[in-house]
Amino acid sequence: MSESRYPKPVRRFLRFFVGNSIVERILISIAALITAVIVSSLIVLVAGYLSGEAYNPLEIFAVLVNGAFGSPFDLDSARLFTEGWSPINFSMGTTLKETTLLIFAGLAVAVAFRGDLFNIGVQGQLVLGGLAAALALVWVAPFVPGGLAGTLLLIPFGLLVGAIVGGLYGAIPGALKAYTGANEVITTIMLNTIATGTAFFLVSAYFADPTLQSVKTRPIPDFARLNGVVFPQGGQFSLVALVLALLATVGVYYVLRYTSFGYDLRVSGKQAKAALYGGANAEKMVVSTMTLSGALGGIAGAMWSMMVIGAWRQGVPSIGFDGITVSVLAGNNPIGVIPASLLFGVLKGGSNAINFQLGVPPELVAVLRGMIILFIAMPEAFRMLGNWLGVKPEPAAATGGGGDE
Amino acid sequence: MSSAPADSGALASVRDWVANVGRIPRLVFGALFVSMILGGTINILMPGTRPATVAGIFNVSFVESTLRIAVPIVFAGLGGIFAEKSGVINIGLEGLLIISAFTAVAVTHLVSGGSAASQSTVWIGLFAGVLASTFLAFVFAVLVIEFRADQIIAGLAIWLVGLGLGPFLSIVIWGSVNSASVATLETLTIPGLAEIPVLGPILFDASPIVVLMLVTIVLSWFVLNRTSFGRWIEASGENPSSLDTAGVNVHRVRYVGVVLSGVLSGFGGAGLVLGRTGRFIGSGQTMIGGDGFIAITTYLFGNYNPIGTAGAGLLFAGLEALQIRLQQIAFIPAPSTLIRLVPYVSVIIVLAFVGYTRIPSEAGEHYESGEE
Repeated sequence: MSESRYPKPVRRFLRFFVGNSIVERILISIAALITAVIVSSLIVLVAGYLSGEAYNPLEIFAVLVNGAFGSPFDLDSARLFTEGWSPINFSMGTTLKETTLLIFAGLAVAVAFRGDLFNIGVQGQLVLGGLAAALALVWVAPFVPGGLAGTLLLIPFGLLVGAIVGGLYGAIPGALKAYTGANEVITTIMLNTIATGTAFFLVSAYFADPTLQSVKTRPIPDFARLNGVVFPQGGQFSLVALVLALLATVGVYYVLRYTSFGYDLRVSGKQAKAALYGGANAEKMVVSTMTLSGALGGIAGAMWSMMVIGAWRQGVPSIGFDGITVSVLAGNNPIGVIPASLLFGVLKGGSNAINFQLGVPPELVAVLRGMIILFIAMPEAFRMLGNWLGVKPEPAAATGGGGDE
Repeated sequence: MSSAPADSGALASVRDWVANVGRIPRLVFGALFVSMILGGTINILMPGTRPATVAGIFNVSFVESTLRIAVPIVFAGLGGIFAEKSGVINIGLEGLLIISAFTAVAVTHLVSGGSAASQSTVWIGLFAGVLASTFLAFVFAVLVIEFRADQIIAGLAIWLVGLGLGPFLSIVIWGSVNSASVATLETLTIPGLAEIPVLGPILFDASPIVVLMLVTIVLSWFVLNRTSFGRWIEASGENPSSLDTAGVNVHRVRYVGVVLSGVLSGFGGAGLVLGRTGRFIGSGQTMIGGDGFIAITTYLFGNYNPIGTAGAGLLFAGLEALQIRLQQIAFIPAPSTLIRLVPYVSVIIVLAFVGYTRIPSEAGEHYESGEE
């Protein structure tokens, strides 16, 4: 158990990692990731054995990551790089599209978690925010001049509508929690189903595109959509959206860290009593935290409507649930949401590649997602492993109980 | 709690139960009773009219389909009681239901080799499903008890693992997220008793899994309220250090509580596929579609009392069964998508009025012996 078996610089190096809580978090996330990949590989081997196909886990993960970026590496031949590869390609667009949506959804969950609220309802806020943005744009667009001026006017408008509707829908469980004590985990789960059902009903009964058989609104006019900039049109990805997502991340980080609202939010989450003595209105804090969280989820929905579909249709992908995964992986840190979203974006972007190139079901990614969260949930196991390897945290850090920041 | 220790008959325990069961189940049972009387009266007084058609929905087959729909919800809800009362919040019930439903179908399919499965094969499939769910619950228990994982996040992980593995392995076996059809459990008919009007077909000519569910409800109530193990479970969630002082290992009690939630959810998930649908559907949120989360709501409604929990579970199942029937009545204009939402909206309304449900004081907290 003593760490004297390592030379002094190594010891100091190791201690920096174990003692520092942010670095520790990152290390735990990476360790969880590696463990998840190993366990998923075992599952893939067994699954391959069951189905009579020889799956090679190493090949699958290589193709997964490579495919997510449009195959920059030529895995089959002796040449390292694929000839004629450009960073601007369809797969890269898919990966970054998912990343963008996940950043907003992840931020939504992270904000709530920071206020000690578990917002499982991002999915519902996203569904309604997306529907509202699509409908608002379809209605308003005829009254707005086309061209660049219209685009500059309508895109912020659509995102704002999404944010407002998502925020209001997030405020419901917030108010229920604050004023009646109803558990937000349960109410948000119920509200998810209600949102999906209501949106389906509204569109199928009133707002469906009469020229289509499916449950889908009329299309958002082209100039009011987030179209491909740099990336090709029709690739469902706009670089502008990614930039907005990064700005939102910095914004949330700033609000949480440097404003009195953010201070109250964090203290309410950690020390409700202390926040009360500090003059924060606990009920109001819960409602505004959930509203902010819901607004971010609503923006994710608006982005989905305006960038990916160009309308609203039933069958919204589970971006809101993935946001929970992203936030947990990021340790609820807004900045950490960026790499976590990129990781899950890569998994989604590459899932097509493993399907087309290797015939591996893209649902494998969902298995991997579950495993990652499973191992993220057990930081203590990795700490014990660290102790067993002989690296003990500084006594001061050891009493911290694994907090972040 | 009860101030009448002298009379210890059946009547006393009924009175005891009414006093302890909580407001919601009392409302539920009351409403059921009143509507039964009302429906019967309408049916007799005005046959053939519209009210009679509506009242005619509530017949024996309605009760039967309610019971069948209730299987996953009630089993998972009962399991959730054991876990949460012992101090471990298990929001992974949904994942346990998914994994047991998938495993039950997969094992039945694989053992029978694709041909029509015999009844014994179906039973093997059922127990395989229970085993899979129990194993996953055990993993969850190790995570939260041994490795002090955050219970909510670990529960979320269990859900996501189920949600990932079910459809993925389904594709591996059947080439689609939806499985092929397998044989289901045959109806258990007790000759003679099945002839009793109303109760006969409901209880003695029913799917064995429904009978098992009814037995489990009573058994759970008995274990929790009348055995020393039930008291340990309660103490483990309310005041673990006192349990420790009394010489009972808190960790062990919590392990048993969580593993029991796995066993019961396993019967729920496997019972759903092998008792009713005959196949696993893995698209979207899978065929479980939130039943595990509804189950959490039922035991909060039922105030951790198995009878109340089952009552709330039957209420949800009844609304679902009602919704299916209302679609078949032409003169009711309400769109089915909206009727489907009734249970979910009612949960929110009830939660808003009941508000705070008192959860066991140490639920969600890790306990370490000798730490104060």
